[in-house]
Amino acid sequence: MRRFFEHHTVWAIAILLASVIFLWMVFAVWPEWLVNAIGRKKTFVGTFLNGVTLGGLYFLVASGFTLVFGLMRNVNLAHGSMYLLGGYIGYEVAEASGSWFLALVVAFVAVALIGILLQVLVFRRMEGDDLRQTLVTIGISIVAADLMLAFWSGNTYQFQPPDWLYGTIQLPIVSLIKSDGSAVFIKYPLYRFTVLGVAVAVGIALWLLLNRTRIGMMIRAGVNDRDMLAASGVNVQLVFALVFAIGAGLAGFAGVIGGSALSISPGEDIRYLLASLVVVIVGGLGSISGAAIGALIIGLAEQFGLAYFPTYGVVLTFLIMVVVLAVRPQGIMGGR
Amino acid sequence: MQQSSTPATPGIDALSRLQSAGRYALELEAVSRHFGALVALADINITLEAGERRAVLGSNGAGKTTLFNAITGDFLPTTGSVRLFGEDVTDLPSHERIRRGLRRTYQISLLFDGLSVIDNIYLACRGQRRGRYSLRRTRRDDSSMHSAETLIAAVFLEDVRNSLVAELSYGQQRQLEIALALAGAPRLILFDEPAAGLSPVERSGLVEILQALPKHIAYIIIEHDMDVALRVVQSVTMMHNGRIFKEGTPEEIENDPEVQELYLGQGHGTD
Amino acid sequence: MASDHLSAETFSFKDVNPAVYVLAAVLLAYPLFASNFFIFQIAAYSLILGTIALSLMMLAGYGGMVSLAQLSAAGLAGYLMAILGQNSSDVMGLGWPWWLAVIVSILSAALFSTLVGAIAVRTEGIYTIMITLAIAVAFFYFTRQNYVLFNGFSGYAGILPPTLFGINLRDPVPFYYLSLFVASGFFGAVLYSSRSAFGLSLQAIRDNPRRMRALGYNTSMHRIAAFFLSGIIAGTAGVLLVWFNARISPGSIGVDVVIDILVIAVIGGMRHPIGPFLGAVAFVLLENFAIDLIDRERFNTVIGTAFLLVVLFSPDGILGIWQGLLRRLKLARPSKHSRSRQSDNASSDATSTDSAPT
Repeated sequence: MRRFFEHHTVWAIAILLASVIFLWMVFAVWPEWLVNAIGRKKTFVGTFLNGVTLGGLYFLVASGFTLVFGLMRNVNLAHGSMYLLGGYIGYEVAEASGSWFLALVVAFVAVALIGILLQVLVFRRMEGDDLRQTLVTIGISIVAADLMLAFWSGNTYQFQPPDWLYGTIQLPIVSLIKSDGSAVFIKYPLYRFTVLGVAVAVGIALWLLLNRTRIGMMIRAGVNDRDMLAASGVNVQLVFALVFAIGAGLAGFAGVIGGSALSISPGEDIRYLLASLVVVIVGGLGSISGAAIGALIIGLAEQFGLAYFPTYGVVLTFLIMVVVLAVRPQGIMGGR
Repeated sequence: MQQSSTPATPGIDALSRLQSAGRYALELEAVSRHFGALVALADINITLEAGERRAVLGSNGAGKTTLFNAITGDFLPTTGSVRLFGEDVTDLPSHERIRRGLRRTYQISLLFDGLSVIDNIYLACRGQRRGRYSLRRTRRDDSSMHSAETLIAAVFLEDVRNSLVAELSYGQQRQLEIALALAGAPRLILFDEPAAGLSPVERSGLVEILQALPKHIAYIIIEHDMDVALRVVQSVTMMHNGRIFKEGTPEEIENDPEVQELYLGQGHGTD
Repeated sequence: MASDHLSAETFSFKDVNPAVYVLAAVLLAYPLFASNFFIFQIAAYSLILGTIALSLMMLAGYGGMVSLAQLSAAGLAGYLMAILGQNSSDVMGLGWPWWLAVIVSILSAALFSTLVGAIAVRTEGIYTIMITLAIAVAFFYFTRQNYVLFNGFSGYAGILPPTLFGINLRDPVPFYYLSLFVASGFFGAVLYSSRSAFGLSLQAIRDNPRRMRALGYNTSMHRIAAFFLSGIIAGTAGVLLVWFNARISPGSIGVDVVIDILVIAVIGGMRHPIGPFLGAVAFVLLENFAIDLIDRERFNTVIGTAFLLVVLFSPDGILGIWQGLLRRLKLARPSKHSRSRQSDNASSDATSTDSAPT
């Protein structure tokens, strides 16, 4: 921290200043001129929270994508299909059993199994041929999208998470002071916070897995040097299959989480594939921390874009990607 | 860019270029290169006179190839400056350095597998000339094509003129590698282990090719085979752990007790 | 097969394989014996899709850059035809003369493609696919969100080609010849310049970018220039496509269609410019007649499976299968034809591939 300040004094001051302004905007009661300039405080804080929670959801999806790429150099463009499939499977399980938690577990396990099957039956046969692997994942996503459409039709499905996850909580943030002097507090849906909490928990779990376990050590070794991993006598195929399972399982898991926060319908696969692509391009392919940073940036950009300049929202996301590619082609946390 | 006006001379004998070259072909001043915490090059100072031939020796990991990459601009040095023919090129991209007369060969063959031998050489000749973006097919009387035909004869590859590079033997690929480095008007060539993997006969052929190079062409050669290296150079730089450890004539190096103890006589086959 | 080397030889009509003349004659005479449906919906449409896929094949096959933003470039040209020219949607439609709108649309598509290239060449290899896919999807969402320029979800309708010298260009036969003219023109241009200094450089950059830099080439500029040229091809095809459909909407440039273009190029084969056209014919026939085989609703399953089979078992597509057959034929009777076949290959690019696989 101190070193950063010494080396990048200007940046550090700018970041500090921005944080102070931001904290003031969150906690202070907005004066008249600010409301006139950029609208109500409620919109601003709500957009911010939406952005952060959306970032959490994007992290859940993108972390699996980036994990698989980091180890196997496999750009899995069927990752969005896995998200959607996880959502549908979770929905069926929740409908049948009435348990949302069971839906989460089954979605994870089922999609993870599909991931293992793909790795063992398909990708293993074309190791080192990035382009062909990628084309195969495109083919799979075409067929998968069509079959899911056939099976679940074009309807929109919505989950019923447990009641205690529903409702809103009141934040200790004053939105405005009414004329009678009483303060109005900002409220926010509890479930959205849950999404964020789950994302943080998954992030920590992945970090622990990669940094504190033997298998994680192997994965990290494989990311740095695949030949070394093979030479060290580890069953590389087993590690690959495991990582693919985790990556795919996370997509399925995210399908239930995201499907509960929003909804699931055809086309969501593309949406989350795009999100994953942009998140990892911005954050750096293969880096979990990069996925977290990228997800936060893209989530915020999307929500602020939507709230403040609706017809050009996508452009903002896109511009962030272009700027990152121009300044740092390997992504924010990407190594070379 | 000034080379684009060069008349259609075959690549090897751009003798007229010599007069304007200035005294030094290459000057490295305090060049260092770090990869994270790893110091690959530390405070390297080398001056190479125009037309001088020098060997860089050292064990694996001594920083020899990194040195080449720093000279060609494949990596930028962390600190220090690189001057080519009197001009500071530290911040210039590699293609700009090539246009000033720098060439290199690679340890592993970096050729265009999907193209024919003549197309490989043709592209090498075209690289420094106008018309690289031309969409018209090249005619036989094109000056680059003319240079390419001359070069293909110089490295004895006429028989495989239209073969794909992927179909060539290893020795032929090494010959082609040298032909690519000779294209255009080179004034300084960096040879990265040209003899590695060659048979004894092919090695003596290589020595012949190197000795027959026009006198105005300076070169630096990285080579583990002392028999090859010491026969084709006037000076030697020994490197160890990214630093220059000793400099001298081939005789001095060969007879230096310290060097003998450390390197000579030990079998350094291939990298 | 680049042993069929041509860069030193000058072009001569005598060297062209007779099969090319036969094919040309068949294509020219096609409207004489085909129904309007086959002229317009099948042939013209195949030629247009093939041209868009050709712009991808040029980048991927010669340059090693799989760009999924080609349809977006074509779509931009189509949208600009609606915006600059005339449409029946009561939005925009500046009423420029058709020729000016065409020129500006094509150049804008080329500029768009150049920008995509400038972004994509910052990285290498598999990144290109990801970045161009992200651009294509972002462009799709943008056209859907934006009502000021792109008229949002509904897009534009009533975009028609002009009537020249009393000939309505949208009538099946004139439109077929127009498409044939454009497609064969670009086909010939790509084939011809694949052996130019630029074409060879592009293939060499695909094989070994680092060495090309070491030879004094600015590889990024070459790649960006390739994107510019492919943008011209895609943009021109985009103008034809919007005239063909008479309308354009975000759905015309959606991800499924973006992927269709890739499917066409891969199924056809990316080692020779004829590949995209073979792929387009196969695709359009399948799209129109899959209804007879299975439920029309499941077309994507059929085409996706076909795509998967090609990627898994015949990486060079239909072209690869065709060449495999030829090779087997040659093996069956080696002495008689092998010699003449080779010289045949050397002089006519139409039956041989110019480049090795990436």
